Amino acid sequence: MSKFQTSIHEYLETLPLQTFNRLYQKPATCLAIFRLLPPLGKQIIMSSLYVDTPIPVTDMKLWFKESAGLMKQKEAMQRLKALHIFSEERGNYAMNATFLEQFRNALTGGGNSQSFGLATSTPDKHHVDIAFLDDYATKQWEAILHFMVGTTEGRPPCKGVLNLLGRSGLMTGGSDVSSHADSMDARDFASQMARQDFGVPKITHKGFQFLLQDINTQVWAFLLQYLNMAESLNMDLVEVLTFFFQLGSLELGNDYSSETLTPTQTHLLEDLKAYGIVYQRKRGSRRFYPTRLATTLTSGTPVMLGSHTNATKLAAAAAVRKGEEEEGDDHGFIILETNYRLYAYTDSPLQIAVLNLFVHLRDRFPNMVTGVITRDSIRRALTKGITAEQIITYLTAHAHAQMRKHTPVLPLTVVDQIRLWEIEKNRLRPVQSWLYSDFGRQQDFESTLEYASELGVVLWSNQKRRLICITTEGHQAVGSYVRKLIIRQKEQAQQAQQARQQHQQQHVPSIAS
Amino acid sequence: MGQKRGPTGDVIHERRRRDDGPIHDVGVPEDQDIDEDFSEKLVVPKHATMDAVAQSHSFQRDSVSYIFGDHDYTWLPLKQDHESRPLWITEDGHIILEGFSPIAEKAIDFLITIGEPVSRPSHIHEYKLTPYSLYAAVSVGLETEDIIEVLSRLSKVPVPESILGLIRDCTLSYGKVKLVLKHNRYFVESSHPEMLQKLLRDPIIKEARLIGEEETNQNGALITGKAPNAKDLLIPGVKKDIPDPNKVAAGASAAAGATAGQDGDEIFAVVGLDKDDDDVESDDVHSFEISSSSVETVKKRCNELDYPMLEEYDFRNDTLNPDLEIDLKPITVIRPYQEKSLSKMFGNGRARSGIIVLPCGAGKTLVGITAACTVKKSTLVLCTSSVSVLQWRQQFLLWSNIKPHQIAVFTSDQKEKFLGAAGIVISTYSMVANTRNRSHDSQKMMNFLKSREWGFLLLDEVHVVPANMFRKVLTTIAAHAKLGLTATLVREDEKIDDLNFLIGPKLYEANWMDLASKGHIANVQCAEVWCPMTPAFYREYLRENSRKRTLLYVMNPNKFQACQYLIRYHEERGDKIIVFSDNVYALVAYAQKLMKPFIYGETSQQERVRILQNFQHNPKINTIFLSKVGDTSIDLPEATCLIQVSSHYGSRRQEAQRLGRILRAKRRNDEGFNAFFYSLVSKDTQEMYYSTKRQQFLIDQGYAFKVITNLDGMDQEQDLVYSTPAEQLSLLQSVLLAQESEADLNDDVEPDADDLTGNTSRRSGAVAGGSNGAKRTVGGLKSLSGGDQMAYIEYNKAVNLKDKDKNKAEHHPLFKKHRNKK
Repeated sequence: MSKFQTSIHEYLETLPLQTFNRLYQKPATCLAIFRLLPPLGKQIIMSSLYVDTPIPVTDMKLWFKESAGLMKQKEAMQRLKALHIFSEERGNYAMNATFLEQFRNALTGGGNSQSFGLATSTPDKHHVDIAFLDDYATKQWEAILHFMVGTTEGRPPCKGVLNLLGRSGLMTGGSDVSSHADSMDARDFASQMARQDFGVPKITHKGFQFLLQDINTQVWAFLLQYLNMAESLNMDLVEVLTFFFQLGSLELGNDYSSETLTPTQTHLLEDLKAYGIVYQRKRGSRRFYPTRLATTLTSGTPVMLGSHTNATKLAAAAAVRKGEEEEGDDHGFIILETNYRLYAYTDSPLQIAVLNLFVHLRDRFPNMVTGVITRDSIRRALTKGITAEQIITYLTAHAHAQMRKHTPVLPLTVVDQIRLWEIEKNRLRPVQSWLYSDFGRQQDFESTLEYASELGVVLWSNQKRRLICITTEGHQAVGSYVRKLIIRQKEQAQQAQQARQQHQQQHVPSIAS
Repeated sequence: MGQKRGPTGDVIHERRRRDDGPIHDVGVPEDQDIDEDFSEKLVVPKHATMDAVAQSHSFQRDSVSYIFGDHDYTWLPLKQDHESRPLWITEDGHIILEGFSPIAEKAIDFLITIGEPVSRPSHIHEYKLTPYSLYAAVSVGLETEDIIEVLSRLSKVPVPESILGLIRDCTLSYGKVKLVLKHNRYFVESSHPEMLQKLLRDPIIKEARLIGEEETNQNGALITGKAPNAKDLLIPGVKKDIPDPNKVAAGASAAAGATAGQDGDEIFAVVGLDKDDDDVESDDVHSFEISSSSVETVKKRCNELDYPMLEEYDFRNDTLNPDLEIDLKPITVIRPYQEKSLSKMFGNGRARSGIIVLPCGAGKTLVGITAACTVKKSTLVLCTSSVSVLQWRQQFLLWSNIKPHQIAVFTSDQKEKFLGAAGIVISTYSMVANTRNRSHDSQKMMNFLKSREWGFLLLDEVHVVPANMFRKVLTTIAAHAKLGLTATLVREDEKIDDLNFLIGPKLYEANWMDLASKGHIANVQCAEVWCPMTPAFYREYLRENSRKRTLLYVMNPNKFQACQYLIRYHEERGDKIIVFSDNVYALVAYAQKLMKPFIYGETSQQERVRILQNFQHNPKINTIFLSKVGDTSIDLPEATCLIQVSSHYGSRRQEAQRLGRILRAKRRNDEGFNAFFYSLVSKDTQEMYYSTKRQQFLIDQGYAFKVITNLDGMDQEQDLVYSTPAEQLSLLQSVLLAQESEADLNDDVEPDADDLTGNTSRRSGAVAGGSNGAKRTVGGLKSLSGGDQMAYIEYNKAVNLKDKDKNKAEHHPLFKKHRNKK
């Protein structure tokens, strides 16, 4: 499995020029990529969009004052070049012709307008409103997250999602069946995954990292994994990407026609439905609605699904409003005390499930849960591949406003202890080394050992079995010494009593100090 | 092991993994002071063992409900304005309080009265409602409905039914009946006559009743009188500028009540307990008299009937016992929390029996003295050691205007009586509880103690005293009011609850962090230093049995070096350091190697005094090593740094007591001053597990233990001990040769001689034991061969000789065969 990419930029930069040229044929894509750029990049494009001649590099330098500005310009240009929007030829910057044309189209509304999606001409009999879409998106998306943390909120996600989770390395196989045994679908999945050597899924290190991110990054990460998978499924990358970008430019609450979509994109639509990115009333329906997850894909603004404040319906309206304000400020809901007790102001099953990964939870109230961080609870998380650093980051990122009054935000002792619990697990340290074995005579062994210990390169030795471990640095010296020994032996006694030297590159674990 | 296992680390890794698993307590006897039989005999009202039981509720469960099991309280609806209310309450009596709520301070006052504090760190506090804590609440004058009302006002969620039930059950019957000693006669008193009638229907109580001359008219009539109040009682030492003395004296008892009126907080408005108290008390009270000989039976019977009696002493109306001329010196001012604790004791103008919990160094002694000055009757003070006896005497003279001749000391060395009709006697528990082999003088003294009636019995360090000793003391001494003082009301065996019925409910418990932040006790930096075991020691550690293991992890050379380094570092800073080691073998080894003075069980009296004085006054002696003898009641305000090398398994109490040694540091009010508390722990050994356990109490008080894995600068340090492998090896050898019994922690101090300045009765005790017949002891070769001042007496030589012959003949044929072979 390739490196887990979290940002669309990283992904795009790996694509070849041809792919870009095809991508840029859609105005919507151009606009979307433009929106994903940093401000300076946008500025450069806007300034040169209607300049018909290539811009000399020296001229562009004049746009910036001081060296700091130039540094930024260089950085921005690097990005633009990586995305093949600009290319440098003979001291001039030239904008990609396709991009130029289609981006102009995007701004002026010319060209093939279908790239921004075709709004349906007839009103939908089963029209849905934004609130419904939000609810739908939340439910679908959280179902995935819930599945990842091991709780089954409603139905487990469909096979497509499970497949993606397994392939992306967000979850891996394990032997724990109990938590899912009650749901039929999960068992199907289990058998399906087993065939692919995955077993029953468990959250991985990557998966936990994924959970800690904000929802926009999560969606992108998910879609990128989808892209990776698409390649292996022989789906056309450009069509997939184009569709993603097109979704980003749609308007929330409007319905769009699915008739103009290519077969690949129709297939894609099915999958995106499962993630909650689009809504389609029923399979094969002629229209679809983008949800908030889709429309914020390229906008760069955080998705406000109101995931957990949503459930505060129990509380009075005023409280909800206040909660949302706080949410907007800092997302803080966790109080961690010096006595390892943790209090989290949340009623979201998802948050609770995430906490349950590394906290021993105890009491639950309508708006708060209490728990305690113990060695066992942390070790449980560590064995799942979650790192101490991730836990600490999560706790810091979600620390309650009261905690933020102090610096450091989290009690130092607890943070240290969590790290120490992790270190406790990592006692073995691999050291590359050479194993010398099969010494013919005890005296050869002894003299070699003596020589090597004088050099200080012995990692370990065993008198009885005549084994010596030598560090990689010492191998050359000791090796030649042994060779000399052998030669001398041959000279002295003609017999073939050789100390055979065996080179074996291997990892010899030795105890970390 | 090395050769076979190889360095690949697999085996070692495996072993460690095994060690990582749950380490079970290896059956360590933990504070077994209260004897088993006795606690069974203890009569406890049946509610005392009651716990709030969760009932099953049907409510919408979601995907994460399974995590919480019975602890999912989402069915408790949040109140509309829950944000302005500071606490949650669970079905099993846990109360979780937002410490940052604007009304938290008042809520804490209230909760500390009705519940046990579980943890009090900086943001969120936890309390637990227990029958005992509710008894205590009632005894300081709170009424059932007030408790419920305030609790539901403070709570974000409705108070669960089970809690309401618990509160009602525990408070309705308790505290309604009081046992009052008035004019030297015992009265059962209550403001609810129907309750008394009910009691009188019981045959046992009926029998005990005395019908006085003044109520000859009818059998069932009760004596009716005015209820007491605290109108004219002023606790000495209270600052005079407090506007309403009446309010202070009576009001603080009512928890939040005192401040309620002032800011008219809506939530607390109803807690006008101050007023309530007066209302109730100004009602008529009813009583009947019982004979003094049957007090014990009546008390027991009342417990059985679930009407436990509160004991109160109406000392102002006690004309039979002569008054004691004692008052605090005018310069003596008591601190706010001391005043608060006392006001709970004297809330209604009478003396209630109970326990006051204050951290070490927070002035428990002054609280005791002030209480004695309030009662103004003959007082008996009991403490744990003869050193504290002298300290108490000196403190009495320091803070109060008592004449030296009125204050007497009763220890094995000194047996005095006070002059005049009333006075103070200070003694130890063991002196008073001891029943056998008294010298003539002490017997005379005991008779004196037994013969008179004491107005006030002051019990120091109540947590350490075995219950049977308590019982003995409480039955031999006739005292009207009892006050227990302690810093740590925790015991590993959880038998602390028994104290509630021996002495009385807990009246007050102070918040450590709060006192530290206000400068009443020192700020302490706590650290746990992890010392890796050297490979050689660890190999032996894995091999040895559990007793020897103790020695190995205590004698770990890395620990040795860490200790040396810390001593050096802190001596350079100008700190005075105490090093604690429970293990005597280690204590001696450490102290001798590092050339520091040390005190343990066998150090003679003169030696101890000399060392302690040098530590206090000699600038060249900055470090002393102490064994367990120094755990409690040693007052060394010079000490500013404490290093713990070995400790008594997982005892939370010991940890807290030791911390207490530096809380009263003289220099605590210097700017930025910190005292230091180090606990040296050998990595990957059982010590780690114990250490975590030990710290729990302090952590719950809000202390943070920083883990230090690497002492900065220790690598550069020159001439550390045992720095070469050869030295380490010879140390290992000597440890391995040491007696197994050296690892025991308990042989240092005899249970009843927990006495820093030595104790002359020790030797006589040993002889006495011998004369009583055979005594079985476990000892090392050293001690058995006379190394620890032990002597053998041979009884009936002839019999032994005969036995020898007999033994020879009686070998089983099978063994004979084996013998011959060899």
